[in-house]
This record gives sequence, structure tokens and C-alpha cells, in this order.
Amino acid sequence: MVTQSTSAQEHSRRHLLDVAGLDWRSLQALLASAEKMQRLLDSRAGGSNALRGVGVTTLFYEPSTRTRISFEAAATALGARVTTFSVATSSVGKGESLMDTVRTLEALRNHVIVLRHERAGAPWLAARHFGGSIVNAGDGWHAHPTQALLDLSVLSRHLGDRNGSLAGRRIAIVGDLLHSRVVRSNLHTLTTAGATVMLTGPASLTTGFAEHAASFRNSSGSVQLVGSIDEALSGADAVMALRIQRERLTPGELDSLEAYRSAWGLTSVRLAELAPHALVLHPGPMNEGVEIDPDVADGPRSLVLEQVRAGIPMRMAVLAQVVSEPRTHD
Amino acid sequence: MTDLLTVNFAEHWVVDPVAELAGVASVSIVAGKIASVTWRDGEAAARACWTAGANPGPSDPTVALLPALIDLHAHFRQPGANASEDVESGTRAAAHGGYGTVALMPNTEPAADTVETLRAAIAGERHGVRLLPIAAATVGRAGTQVSNVGALVKAGAVAVSDDGSPIADRVVFRAALLAAAAAGIPLMEHCEEPSLTAGSEAADGLVASRLGLRPWPAAGELRAVESAIAVLRDVVLSAAPARLHLTHLSTAAALAAVRSAQGEGLPLTCDVAPHHIALTDGWIAGDRRWAWEVASGDERLAPTADAFDANLRVCPPLRAAVDAAACREALRNGTALAIGTDHAPHSREKKEVEFGLAANGIAGIETSLSVAIAAHRAGELSMATIVAALTTGPAHLLGADLVGVTPGASASLVQVDLAVSWRPSRETLHGRSTNTPLIGRELPGVVLLTVLEGRLAYQR
Repeated sequence: MVTQSTSAQEHSRRHLLDVAGLDWRSLQALLASAEKMQRLLDSRAGGSNALRGVGVTTLFYEPSTRTRISFEAAATALGARVTTFSVATSSVGKGESLMDTVRTLEALRNHVIVLRHERAGAPWLAARHFGGSIVNAGDGWHAHPTQALLDLSVLSRHLGDRNGSLAGRRIAIVGDLLHSRVVRSNLHTLTTAGATVMLTGPASLTTGFAEHAASFRNSSGSVQLVGSIDEALSGADAVMALRIQRERLTPGELDSLEAYRSAWGLTSVRLAELAPHALVLHPGPMNEGVEIDPDVADGPRSLVLEQVRAGIPMRMAVLAQVVSEPRTHD
Repeated sequence: MTDLLTVNFAEHWVVDPVAELAGVASVSIVAGKIASVTWRDGEAAARACWTAGANPGPSDPTVALLPALIDLHAHFRQPGANASEDVESGTRAAAHGGYGTVALMPNTEPAADTVETLRAAIAGERHGVRLLPIAAATVGRAGTQVSNVGALVKAGAVAVSDDGSPIADRVVFRAALLAAAAAGIPLMEHCEEPSLTAGSEAADGLVASRLGLRPWPAAGELRAVESAIAVLRDVVLSAAPARLHLTHLSTAAALAAVRSAQGEGLPLTCDVAPHHIALTDGWIAGDRRWAWEVASGDERLAPTADAFDANLRVCPPLRAAVDAAACREALRNGTALAIGTDHAPHSREKKEVEFGLAANGIAGIETSLSVAIAAHRAGELSMATIVAALTTGPAHLLGADLVGVTPGASASLVQVDLAVSWRPSRETLHGRSTNTPLIGRELPGVVLLTVLEGRLAYQR
């Protein structure tokens, strides 16, 4: 077991389960660390050995492209030993529980588990049974901390003040709020950074969000749920379209994709109303022609690929942080 | 079996909800029988004290003597899931919790829908605890065909229920209500509209929204309650002596509907569970304050390390502080006649899993008295209210004999120290499963002694 070995004792039990509860100073530290990581990636070495000897496993119970590859690239760039856990071909298919799986991974000398799971709270369960660090790579509808952090890094770069703060900035988030872990995490990071967040989407996919929005009344920024996309986009410095998650929808939640596009889609006609500097984000993967039109996704306002690129340095920053005593063998 | 007890309980805080007396008294037990009860200030003062709420004052004794408690709703998992609990472990837990009588719900495997299974459900070492079986209202709890209620009542069933699920088909529900009425017993209904609650994980509201848990709307309970009341009204109009009891109600709206129906004179009762009076859905985020300590707008929503504890997954789900307050108000104003534990033990395999995949239920029979005492100490519930809800209320529903602290009666009493506290743990709990969110929590009220039919059933 890791906890019995000397090397493991160098690892604290720090996790990144959520961005809720992270204060502005912690967010700033992660933004600064991600910038350093970017410089490291741009350097001739292209990385470091800061995590040499550290076992990082990506344990994904849901399909993913960018998050998983991004974490693996981040861990590799820091010199970690990276294992891809394939849920489809593992003992999970034989009914092995999450608790047993993380214990097994611990016994196999893994120090960090990057966990993606379809159930809210799964990373908390894993953290209670794992001696190393758990990094939440998305749990059900609940949280997607590293997505929110990389979104913050991109927005802060383009719209932030000298300290990266988004005070005075308006960010619109449009679409399926109900099933979105991206919006839940972004509300924490954006309001902590001081932004005003305007939420909107079809009534069937925003249930509960009026009260949810009001619960941010004590943060630096603020959140409002509004009934139309025009109201949400009015005065926006950036707009984020959320993916219509067809796999999570229940019958009646959405009438048709065309109707959705005409009411809530980011089309070039709608975007023409935005201020010239206003930016467009999407966490991906995109349903082009539904929540976002192809010409918008590829257009000059779009930060979509920058978001993807920002994933690697931010995830390096997160991995470096949770492994609190990085080994320095280089 | 232990010997018949001879003991003198000098100067205790005695609460007798049967005689409606409370105050400082000395109770002597000789050979298992209550030989004498001496009220220090006389019976008239004891009656006035009961009426005033039976609350001990600061200079009164802190050790209380109450009739052994009655639970109208528990699961001992026998037959079918003995790894979680059985009659031996369940009754040992019950005696530790201060209970002398426990009514067992029929959602065993197989369901207790035959005389044979009903008997199997209460067979074994019982540690002196009296077990009252509740029979399945429909065959296999499948909700399609009413059980042979007459035969089940002859075999000892005190009520029928399909607990764990509602009798969703209203025609079958009506038939079950009539069959129970003909047999002279109540139908205990689990109120849930399955079309509204399928797949849900936590009560609809701010906590579920913030934690990304699939919402269980309050309407899921209210719709079922309203529909059950409507059927009851029809049945009563046709002059049948029906009795309907709605178990573990959890929402302010449903309790208001019950209160209104009771106002019409309908033969309708209900109970609330200890976790619904004392906990909120905020516990799922890791907020460990009692429900009465949470003000609206003061929720602590950022998940702590203790968040998503699957021991908090229960049906109906934990709700907002206002609903918990409504559950306590229902006890105060008599809308709810009992605190039913809904003791639902589950093995670790069923609980140490993802929150939304965990089995529903909290093992509560060993902590319910302490939870009630916590509410009492907070000034939320009077001693008279909690003792009645744990004794005379459930006895009334089930037609169970209950002797108070009465001279000449066989002694069935619980002695509890109100001034000391304890912490539930794998070591201090007696049941086979320890799936309670109260593990490690300091709880007021330590059961020192449970005496059942004159014999020691539990001693600390």
C-alpha cells in the first residue's frame, strides 16, 4: 500500500475534488502556476521531471477525449508515470466497486487518480478510500473543476484586469444548465473572480437555477437567471454555449434540435449584436448547428481551441499542487 | 433469559404518557412487577407537569424513566437479507435504543405476504423485545393483487403495507384499504408518486441543484398523499371503517394536506422519521448542523470532505430546514402521532458506493431516542411530545398493549440519562449494520437500562 511506503509519505492527502470553496487567492495561485507551466511547455525541454516516480492514472467511467488526453499530456509533461485505466476492459465490467478499484490502484502504486464518473459525488467516495490524491475530472452533473479553471485562465487572460480579476465583466452562459457540471463549476470560479454571470436556457433545462443563482449572493460576483438569450447577451463580454447533452436528456426536456438552435443557438446573427470585443467559449464537444453554429465556432471571436490548449498547463498546475511534495530527481 | 428484576429507581424524572403524569418519582420493581410509584410532589402536580410538557427543570433529576418505546416502522431484513440485519441483531439494537416493541415492515425477501413468511420474519432470539409483524398489502408487494389480509391478521399481522413502494394502482389501493378495514387493521402507505421520483437522488431544491443530484420533487410525496386521501374519503363515504396511516411523511405540503383531511374527520394518521425532523439535505454537502440550527439563506453548500455520504441516501429524501420544521410542528400539533424510525439497515456493500447508487435507508433504531432528546434539549419538542410519539402514539395506531408506569403492571421501562452523551460507532452500536450518518456524532441521552416484561433486556 502506498501509505506504507516512504515515497507515499511524501504525498499528502490533498485532492482537487471541487472548485467550490476555493478563494480568489487559491484561484490566482493556480492561474499563476498554469502560466509557469505554459512557459515550461514552450521551453526547449518542453516539460520537467517534477513528478518523476509519481503514478498518475486516468480512471474514466464516462467517455472523454479532450479531458483525458489533456490530463495525460499534463502528467507526461511533468515526468509522471501515466496509466490509462480502461473501464471497458477492466474488472469494473465484472462488478468491481469504485471503492475496490481505487484500493487496487493504490496497491499498484498509483499516487494520483484522475477520476471521471457519471455519478455526482463519486470523487468524494474515492477520496475516502484512497491514500493518494483524487483529481475530479467531472462527476455527473455536479462539477468539472479543471474545465472551470481553464475557462477562468482563458477569460482572465482576455478580459481580466492586472490581477486577473473579472470584476465588472459580464459572462453569459447559455443552454442546458440542469445537466451541466461545467456551469456548476464555472459559477464558483467566475463569481469568485468577480464576474457577473447571466444564465439562460430553456425552462425545462434551467429548473432550480433561479434559487441556485441567488445562492451566490455572498460572493464577489453575482449570478442571474434570465428568460431570454437576448437579455443574457446584452452587454456580455463573453458568452459560453453549453453542450446539449443528448445522452442525459429525458423525454420532454427538449422539443427539437432545430427549435433549440433558433431559440438558444449562438448564430452569427445573434453574435452580431455583441460588442466587438466579446468572446465565445464552448467546453466541447460541440454539437455544431445546435448550440453553436460552425461559423461562430471557427470565427474570430471563438476561444474554443484556446480553451483546449489551456487545458494542459492548467492540469499540470493542478497535478503539481495535489502532489504536495514533488520529488526532485532531475 | 435473565431473572425477574427487583430494583428501586429512586428520584427519577418519570414520564408516564398512559396515565399522563410526569415529575420526580421513585419507582420500585419487585420480581419484575412495578410494586410502587411515589410521585414526590403528589399526583395532582404530576398531572399538571404532564400538561405543561413534562419537561424537567434545571434542578430536577437528569435520569429519566419512561415506558419502553414502540416503533411502528422498522426493517429487520429477515428473511432474505440477514447480512444486513436479522431478528437477533435487530432486537438487540432495539433494546439498546430503548424499544420494547417493534413493528416490522414486510419488504423482506420474499415479501411477508403469507402466514409462513410472516412467522419467519419474527422468528429467533428476540432479547425480550415484542415483535409485531406488518403484512404485505399486496401479493409480492407487486401492487396488483391484495393479500389474504384476514388470514394474515389471524396470524398476528397488526397492519398491512407495501412499504418501500406505494400501491400505485389506485384501484388496488382502494381494495387494500377495504380489506384492511374489514380485518380491523390500518393500511400503512408509503407515499410516493413513482412517475415523479424515478431515478432521483436527493430532494429537489438548492442542495440538489448545487450538488448536481437528480431531484426528487416535493410533489412526488404530495401527489401520492392527496390521491390516497381522495380514495380514503370515498371509502369512508361508503361507510367502511377504514384506517389509513401515511408513514414517514417528509414535506411541509404533505403534512398540511394530512392536517386538513384530519380536520374533515377522516380516519387518517401519519408518522415522521427521526432523520426528517433533525437532519436536512445540507448534510449531503457536509453541513452537520441540526435542522433547527439552519436558517433559510444560511445554507452551507460547498461540499466538505464528508460530502456525499451515502448513509444520507434515504427515501423519502432529506429535505430543507423548513420541511424538517414542519415535521416537528406536526408532532407538536398532533398531525403526526408517532416518530417511526424507518430503521433500514444495509450492509457496507450496499452503502459504500456512489451516492446515487446506494440503497435507500438509515439504521436509526439505536439513535432515534437520542435524536428526539436533541430536539427536546433545543427547545423544539417537549418531553411529553417526544415520549408520546415514541409510545402511546404508535401503540394507538397498532392496537398494541402499552402499560405505563403503573403499579401492579409487569415492568417495561427504559432508563435514560438525559445529561450525558455518547457517540454512535461500530463499537457502540448493536445492530449488524451501521449505516447512519450519525456515526461519530455526539448525541445526548444515554440508555442505561431497558427492562422488558420485568426482565433486563439491555444494560449499559
